[in-house]
Amino acid sequence: MVGEITMKKYILNSFVAAAILFTAACKPEIETPAGTTAGQANFSKYIAVGNSLTSGFADGGLYLEGQKVAYPNLIAAKMASVGGGAFTSPFFTDAQANGSGYISLTALVNGTPTLTPVLGNGWRDAPTNSRLFKYSGEVQNLGIPGMRVDLSFDPTLTFSAANPYFERLLTDAQVGKTNYFQFIQGRNHTFFSLWLGNNDVLGYATNGAVTVTGDPTTVLTDKVTFSSLYSNLLNALTAGGQKGIVATIPDVTAIPYFNTVKVSLLLAAAKAANPAAQAVFIQTGTGAVRAATDDDLIRLPFQSAGLFGQGAIPYGLHPLNPIASNWVLDKDEVIKVKDYVNSYNSSIKSLATSKGLAIADTYAYFNQVKTGINLQGVGINAAFITGGAFSLDGIHLTPRGNAVIANVFIDAINTKYGSTVPTIDITQYRGVKFPN
Amino acid sequence: MKKILLSVLLSAPLWVLGQGFQVNLQGQKQIGMAGAGSALALDEASVFYNPGAVTFLEKNSVSAGVNPLLFKSAFKQSGSNVTENVKNKIAPPFEFYAVWGPKSNKWKLGLGVYTPFGGLVDWGDNWSGKYALTSLNLKAIYFQPTLSIKITDRIGIGAGFVYNHGDVNLQRALPVNYPDGRSGHVTLDGTGKGYGWNAGLYIKTLSNISFALVHKSKVITKLDGGTAEFDVPNSLRSSFPAGNTFNAELPLPATTSLGVGIPLSKSTVLAFDASWVQWHIYKELAFDYATNTSALADTKSARNYRDGSSFKLGINHQASEKLALRAGVGYAFSPVQDGYVTPEAPDADRYILSAGIGYTPTSHFEVNASFFFEDVKSRKQRNIETGLDGTFKTLVYAPGLSLTYKW
Repeated sequence: MVGEITMKKYILNSFVAAAILFTAACKPEIETPAGTTAGQANFSKYIAVGNSLTSGFADGGLYLEGQKVAYPNLIAAKMASVGGGAFTSPFFTDAQANGSGYISLTALVNGTPTLTPVLGNGWRDAPTNSRLFKYSGEVQNLGIPGMRVDLSFDPTLTFSAANPYFERLLTDAQVGKTNYFQFIQGRNHTFFSLWLGNNDVLGYATNGAVTVTGDPTTVLTDKVTFSSLYSNLLNALTAGGQKGIVATIPDVTAIPYFNTVKVSLLLAAAKAANPAAQAVFIQTGTGAVRAATDDDLIRLPFQSAGLFGQGAIPYGLHPLNPIASNWVLDKDEVIKVKDYVNSYNSSIKSLATSKGLAIADTYAYFNQVKTGINLQGVGINAAFITGGAFSLDGIHLTPRGNAVIANVFIDAINTKYGSTVPTIDITQYRGVKFPN
Repeated sequence: MKKILLSVLLSAPLWVLGQGFQVNLQGQKQIGMAGAGSALALDEASVFYNPGAVTFLEKNSVSAGVNPLLFKSAFKQSGSNVTENVKNKIAPPFEFYAVWGPKSNKWKLGLGVYTPFGGLVDWGDNWSGKYALTSLNLKAIYFQPTLSIKITDRIGIGAGFVYNHGDVNLQRALPVNYPDGRSGHVTLDGTGKGYGWNAGLYIKTLSNISFALVHKSKVITKLDGGTAEFDVPNSLRSSFPAGNTFNAELPLPATTSLGVGIPLSKSTVLAFDASWVQWHIYKELAFDYATNTSALADTKSARNYRDGSSFKLGINHQASEKLALRAGVGYAFSPVQDGYVTPEAPDADRYILSAGIGYTPTSHFEVNASFFFEDVKSRKQRNIETGLDGTFKTLVYAPGLSLTYKW
């Protein structure tokens, strides 16, 4: 009897022990139906052609943290699992980690941000700060802040000396002797991304649609010229039959730079200080002075410019002292800028389609972000600071924004070429850093 | 700007309850039969399975059991090549029963303390769904005093009052970043209570085929004054004040079951249970914070559950006077509709398999063990509210053991 109890207990114990062991061993499995393939693409040497967005520029500067999470770098890391090779970028060294310098959020009081500059330590001619430390060696992230489609073909070759981000990547012999179109060629790439053209309209728009004489970065590139130069770029990048992806240009009104300082908010603030305030007055692109509405977009830096309401005739609150034209993208200028963006985008799409390239429609995507989207539990929108996608300059992306856009590229690549480049876990990337 | 902050931070839902939270582990014998047995007067667990059958128990008894449960869930984001798993944490559903009544009388009293709902999922603080949830620990403990009466020699009715003590601890990351890049975090912790009832009818026909009809009422569990702790950068502190509290309501659904017991031989009986779980009451989940700010408003998240159901078939074979063997199979339909699946309850339709063994060394003592396994089907979903997009797959393992003293 006692022996029987012992035996039965032994059986029971064994039963429980076996059950626990079995349990620990059996993990649920999730299969990936598509497998792992590069499809019709060859990712062994990827180059990224573009502007500040491609370089990882963020918070008003180019610095190491931003460079590391530039969307091409995130994409390249994922390409590695489908035959992608190394991807080299002109990173600042750790000693130069602050790069050109950038802005940080140092306080947020009742929703009003305090933005404070972080000094750059990437300048080799400090304190003049016009020349960055050179980077030599193989470069696959070819993004140059400020680069434009028209200036890629700069016939004077002077932009290579004028732009410190470009100058940084060139040998002394090349400075002033080359342009971007020449620079990106001869790199033996097997795959490319091309996201260029934003500045062909943004340079004009971010100066309030005022072209500064002698400053080629503030002109609006002619539509036909844009199309023909973009075609030249694509011809060069596909000269060896390479596959690649192009991206459309976001609507400039989809970024916080133009939708944070609203006329209605300015007026409300003015009324709070002086109930007699009637309207916000602006000078339009035609030189006319009129009361502004929310259809007129005021540039983000106006928030901290310390101009509004100042002076004996309060600035911006009286027809005799209107907000100057270069602070405002008035509603007619908005229409003009949108028209150029649409024209550039139709050129980009038709040229890419004729070459059989993938298209990342960032124009369509940023319009969704403007309305607000939820991705993997994260709400993302185009609000300044809190929207999560845009960095503190209101134009360039946060690490989270880069991850989101990288997935737009990856999805388009996979759809076009039948590849299975894995997507990026956007939750591993931050939005704006809030002071603690 | 703060209004927008609110939408960023609180657009995600905080929790849901699913079939995944209904814990079908209330008696070792029934567990061994996949949870069937409402039409069998098997033992004191009838206090839960069918109060109407309690009066047909031959002996008075007390029993206690536990079913360490391992909820192994995996997630793969759509397009990703990374599979993430929940941490191995063991939830302890338990059950305690006592049944007493004067011998050869028409009534019996019963008491049941059991855990019909609960969940323990810990995905870790840095997984890809962290902004939807990092961990949930939910326990509902029902206390149920019961009276069971024999109306005839073949018909019994019974009913019990249910008091629920609920504990919830829910955590998730907030998509605001500290200067070092790490995310904010919120912990909601509270206890609540609710009331309900459990009533059953037991009929044993002349052919000895038995029938059961059981209804367990919904239990609306109110959580008052739970703590809402927001771990955010100091510059956002005024938007998420320290020491905040919340009120919320957990609607635990009613279940109506029909059971049949069919004796196949003197030593073998078959049990079949069909249950209708009335999850439709779970329309939304609302959180009412004691202190609201322009960034922290009360939230209402649509849940829109439909009713769930389950079908369970079990067999109990008395191999010898002292040894019983059991097995069961089942299938359950999820109450969670497409677009509402979350990492708290990564729910889908599921298969149930179980086995059990009972040993009765003396007329007073009984030991029962069971093993319960659920295979929750793989489900690819994009959550409507959070946008969490990927495939969930879950396996549930629960070995169990109980001890009974009878007199």
